[in-house]
Amino acid sequence: MAKVIVKDLHKSYGDNEVLKGLNLEVEDNEVVCMIGPSGSGKSTFLRCLNDLEVPTKGQIVISGYDLSDKGTNINLVRENIGMVFQHFNLFPHLTVMQNITLAPVQLKKESKETADATAHELLKTVGLADKADAMPNSLSGGQQQRVAIARALAMKPKIMLFDEPTSALDPEMVGDVLDVMKKLAAGGMTMIVVTHEMGFAKEVADRVVFMADGLIQESGKPDDVFDHPKSPRLQDFLNKVINV
Amino acid sequence: MKKWQVAVVMVLATLGSWFAFASTAQAKTYTIATDTTFAPFEFQAKGGKYKGIDIDILNAIAKKENIKYKLKAISFGAAVQQLSANQVDGVIAGMNVTPERKQTFDFSDAYYTSGVVMAVAKGSSVKSFKDLKGKTVALKTGTAGATYAKSIESKYGFKIKYFNDSNNMYNDVKVGNSAACFEDYPVMSYGIKNGIALKIVSKQYEAGDYGFAVKKGKNAELLKKFNAGLKAIKADGQYKKIVDKYLHSSESSLTGETASSRTFVGLFTQNLSTIGSGLWMTLELTVISIILATIMGMILGVLGVMPGKLGPAISSTIIYIFRGMPLMVLAFFIYIGFPDLIGHGFKIPAFIAGMITLMLNEGAYTGAFVKGGFQAVDDGQMEAARSLGLPYWTAMRKVIMPQGIRIMIPSFINQFIITLKDTSILSVIGIVELTQTGTLIIARNFEGFKIWLMIAIIYLVIITLLTWLSNWVQRRMN
Ligand SMILES: Nc1ncnc2c1ncn2[C@@H]1O[C@H](COP(=O)(O)OP(=O)(O)OP(=O)(O)O)[C@@H](O)[C@H]1O
Ligand SMILES: [Mg+2]
Repeated sequence: MAKVIVKDLHKSYGDNEVLKGLNLEVEDNEVVCMIGPSGSGKSTFLRCLNDLEVPTKGQIVISGYDLSDKGTNINLVRENIGMVFQHFNLFPHLTVMQNITLAPVQLKKESKETADATAHELLKTVGLADKADAMPNSLSGGQQQRVAIARALAMKPKIMLFDEPTSALDPEMVGDVLDVMKKLAAGGMTMIVVTHEMGFAKEVADRVVFMADGLIQESGKPDDVFDHPKSPRLQDFLNKVINV
Repeated sequence: MKKWQVAVVMVLATLGSWFAFASTAQAKTYTIATDTTFAPFEFQAKGGKYKGIDIDILNAIAKKENIKYKLKAISFGAAVQQLSANQVDGVIAGMNVTPERKQTFDFSDAYYTSGVVMAVAKGSSVKSFKDLKGKTVALKTGTAGATYAKSIESKYGFKIKYFNDSNNMYNDVKVGNSAACFEDYPVMSYGIKNGIALKIVSKQYEAGDYGFAVKKGKNAELLKKFNAGLKAIKADGQYKKIVDKYLHSSESSLTGETASSRTFVGLFTQNLSTIGSGLWMTLELTVISIILATIMGMILGVLGVMPGKLGPAISSTIIYIFRGMPLMVLAFFIYIGFPDLIGHGFKIPAFIAGMITLMLNEGAYTGAFVKGGFQAVDDGQMEAARSLGLPYWTAMRKVIMPQGIRIMIPSFINQFIITLKDTSILSVIGIVELTQTGTLIIARNFEGFKIWLMIAIIYLVIITLLTWLSNWVQRRMN
């Protein structure tokens, strides 16, 4: 069974229907990159996947858990989904170390000692081994985002969601973050990445999904989507993105 | 146990012991209320003990008739209200027997007969009622003087201004804001003898009887004993001795103060123990109220940002009600109105009532800024915490609250200082805290300027210390 199954997903804010019946399946170990114009509903879609937004209609099944089922413990599902935000959202009152170990320790997944050890490993992976005791505000944007990735990974999730993880970063910081994400993909993590980094999508994605007007308009292998776009909407979008 | 748990247990234990004390104290012992500033009938002598004609007569009668009682000195207005609300058993406070009061109270035989006089400032040109035309007259609420002046108000065409306290009334005349005041003769002449710069310019009008009062239909036994005792002390000469003692001696011989001790330092050292106990009461009230208001405010704040509609609705309603109500009204409502509503002789000790008042009022203000503080934390923080799988309350406790509280610290410090100052309003329900202490001391020595300066300095000193402490805590948290 696919890792993520989304069927006929609708989401409205008042009269504004943002998602209009979206269907998507993501397989184990698959990396899906999602592109599309601003306001098309990409963030809303990702947020529905871990119940930060409640869908108006439709079905979402993650690793076998049906989110619309009242009996599903959402906190348990969330432990399996790591989420990385555009603006990092690190906890500013905690050190880097405490940011990473807060959830595993609070949720009694790990003892303080094991959690600390895991965190050190993760910090090494994201290249910030020396920043364990730093406060988030003393780090650069790129460093903060790598800590945020480490924090999500500390829960040992089976799926990672990225919502424009590099778009708030200075250009010279983007590479470091993308490198970490490439490593993750190479390691077999199932990932859904909303991004404007076309290079990254081309190189890493198993599939690229183009979203516009609350629907998936087109999807396929990166080469097909980028080099042979079928729909005029996508052609138009790619022209704009490439020309800036 | 963690530190905050210890603190909570201590507060609860203190509350418990107060309630226990309140309920045991009422067995068999009558509570009799009196005024605080009505020399020579009642006034506080050095060291905090009450003295005066009323006090001594009550004491002599109690001895004769074996009455056990506890004296409760509060303002005249509060004493009368509490008697009608069944909070006290009797009132002896130089109270005139009037037909109106007889509707609500039963009175003893008259224990003193007094007339009303008009007094003006020493250098004033006002000589008779006619000279009052267009001028302002100062009156003390609920007194015979007030009733009399009101009855001739339109005839002589003067304006009226009310005070709750004799000394403030005298002062208003002394400084010239009011042209005259009306006061019971013995009270006025006693005050003048003891240094009030006023003079009596009229004869005695409307001779009226002073009586001891109980609530109508209640405590008939107590009233009977009072009348019997009064007869007895009149017969054996004790009564005359008491009255003579107060009407023919000056205040210093009664309180032990001498003229040489009227310097700032002299007054301070002399009243040190009285001021000290008032200060202690203020601090006690402040600290306990701050703790309770903080707890209440945190609960209101958390409710205010809870998902769903119910929590925020409850929070805003409570904040709306208790923030919108003047502290004094709230204090009166809880101390006098609420027990009246419950009935069955239910009583709330003044201290507890004061504490609840402050908790509700300051708690509502605290709730408002706590809610604001939590809302000021970026939404992304809650989302990040929840996306890690943390349940709502854990996310609240570990992520939102620590950040919110940091934002709130300046508001907390501000609120602590306001709470400290607001304790002074509780003097209206008879709590003898620092401000009330000042009123009481001035009631017997008439040294308004020096004593208020003293009290003001003490408040400033505590507020300075409190601010330092808060700043230190703030520095440590950052
Ligand atoms: N909480 C909300 N309440 C009301 N409308 C919302 C809310 N969140 C999003 N929307 C609306 O939903 C639409 C889609 O927003 P969304 O953030 O999902 O777009 P996006 O594709 O992520 O855009 P971007 O590339 O700018 O991030 C927008 O029109 C937005 O105004
Ligand atoms: Mg978005």
